[in-house]
Amino acid sequence: MTAMQPISGAKNAAILQPQARRKTDDLMRAVALTSVFGDRTILQGVDLAIRRGEVFVVMGPSGCGKTTLLRHLCGLLPPTLGAVTVDGQDIYRASQDQLQALRRRTGLSFQGGALLGSLTVLENVMLPLTENTDLPRRVIEATARMKLEMVGLLHAAHLLPSSLSGGMKKRAAIARAIALDPEIVFFDEPSAGLDPITAAEVDNLICKLNKVFGITMVVVTHDLPSAYEIADRIVVLQGGRVAALGPRDDVWNSPDPRIRDFIERRMNESSGRGMDVATMMEI
Amino acid sequence: MTATLAAPATIVVGKSLDRGSAAALLAALDRELRGKPQRLVLDLGEVASFDSAGLSTVVEGMRRAREQGIEVRLRGLSQPMLDFFSLVSIDRLAGKPPEPPERPSFVLRVGEFVEPKVDGLLGVLKTATDVLYALFVLPFKGQRLRFDRIAMEIDHCAGGALPIILLIAFLMGLILAMQAWVQLRIFGCEIYVADMVGVSVVSEIGPLMTAIALAARSGSSNAAQLGSMVVGEEIDALKQMGIRPESFLVVPKVVACAVSAVMLTGIFDIVGICGGALFAWGVADIEWLAFTAQLKQALHFADFAFATGKSLTFGAIIGTVGCSLGLRVQGGSEGVGRATTNAVVLGIFLIIVIDAVFVTVQRLLLA
Repeated sequence: MTAMQPISGAKNAAILQPQARRKTDDLMRAVALTSVFGDRTILQGVDLAIRRGEVFVVMGPSGCGKTTLLRHLCGLLPPTLGAVTVDGQDIYRASQDQLQALRRRTGLSFQGGALLGSLTVLENVMLPLTENTDLPRRVIEATARMKLEMVGLLHAAHLLPSSLSGGMKKRAAIARAIALDPEIVFFDEPSAGLDPITAAEVDNLICKLNKVFGITMVVVTHDLPSAYEIADRIVVLQGGRVAALGPRDDVWNSPDPRIRDFIERRMNESSGRGMDVATMMEI
Repeated sequence: MTATLAAPATIVVGKSLDRGSAAALLAALDRELRGKPQRLVLDLGEVASFDSAGLSTVVEGMRRAREQGIEVRLRGLSQPMLDFFSLVSIDRLAGKPPEPPERPSFVLRVGEFVEPKVDGLLGVLKTATDVLYALFVLPFKGQRLRFDRIAMEIDHCAGGALPIILLIAFLMGLILAMQAWVQLRIFGCEIYVADMVGVSVVSEIGPLMTAIALAARSGSSNAAQLGSMVVGEEIDALKQMGIRPESFLVVPKVVACAVSAVMLTGIFDIVGICGGALFAWGVADIEWLAFTAQLKQALHFADFAFATGKSLTFGAIIGTVGCSLGLRVQGGSEGVGRATTNAVVLGIFLIIVIDAVFVTVQRLLLA
């Protein structure tokens, strides 16, 4: 067993996936994304670009539109206005076949895992391979077992998802998301509901997959330590708008008071809770 | 690719080791392994691009070789490949894969088949006693019945089923009258169409068809609703808050099903007989007054009493079976699907069995 070497991710990625080269060219773009549900506006004119091979983290308080943005980006939910492009191709104007082809280049790890309950863990990971490739069954099984080994779940290959713990489900979902060697993997709250050690393991896994395979990672999270750990660049959403966007350290050291409040976990005092009773007290 | 006794067998892998070349490499590996060399060398020095399917094929070959006691060596691993393999343990991957669980013995399989059925029936009995307890004992201990929820459930159950019941009832009355008329006409006693339609609709077809329609509509929906609540941990949340799911969810549904069954059966009877009368008047030339007079002779109060008791029991059974199976869902969405199907199947089965009991008792009592 070779020890984990200090790796220069970009160079290795070049050999592994010739198209994954630098972290400078844009792989995905969201242009003026606006999303309206009924009379509620979730996103208002969000513009951002995701670069090839980077770990891009979407942060923000609950209800700021993080998950909606993720669903727009990964092709599950057409935005009310605006466009999402991958390699310059608008995914919501593409034909069904083109969209299917694009989806095969991406993987999504759902918040709750979203494993199919009637299939074993191994069959869950084999599913995208059997449906989308014509590899021999033995190779498919070997590949699925390899992905499970990467996430440390080989021993649970023949279990049903209902008998897995939360962390195991999440790792199985990651194994399924990377089954087809995707170029982009989306993660919805990868560390939510996990204990700190398991969360750190998942973070570590995301970083390793990014470095070794050069996979572009789009991670939605509100877990600050985890975001700092894994991010190359960060976007902070607030009230459906981009509050900050840039390299991790720039965002982390941003002087903007809204960003500071969020990053330093200061409570919003303008809510007035517990303040107004003072004005009504008779002394 | 050569295999000699002195030199180890060698497979030189081409430029790309990926999805496209996996099948060919697997075939080459199998071919070499069939020659039973002592050592096999996989030369990966020329590989320029690879993916996980390609490397999995290599690992699969190593696993095969290990099974046959052949030693495999990898040559010319590039740094990216080493990085890739740093994420996994080849020893674990090439080790014997854990056998999928063995097929259980005949006795175990019979047990596996029978046990859920027995469990299901016992569960239904348990739910039934819980409902009876909540209905007849708890109100005296200060826990009132939730009439608001019962009313809401009746609206769901009876209100939703009304259109389909009206349609079925009308057509059934018409069909029964038609079938009876075709036969009775031969003997010149068309007037007995009224007896035929009246007795069969009131004592058999009405309660039975209504119960089957309710089992299909409400029994399944109760099972699905409670089942998804179990999956979403909502039932556990109720229990934890000190709310009995039996009183809060099951009793209103069971009472609603029973009340709805009685009401819908009444409506079914009236509409069914009207359908029969319409046929008698329009096609068989039986006067409206003659039809009603004949009907009065044919039907007795006991028929209505038994039919009402039957409907009440059927409704309660449908509610209890649906809720009981829903509350005992195991294994996520698939479990919900199973519970929904079983609620209908078991519901209809029990209805028919109870119907047979009712008919026997009725005949014995009235004889």
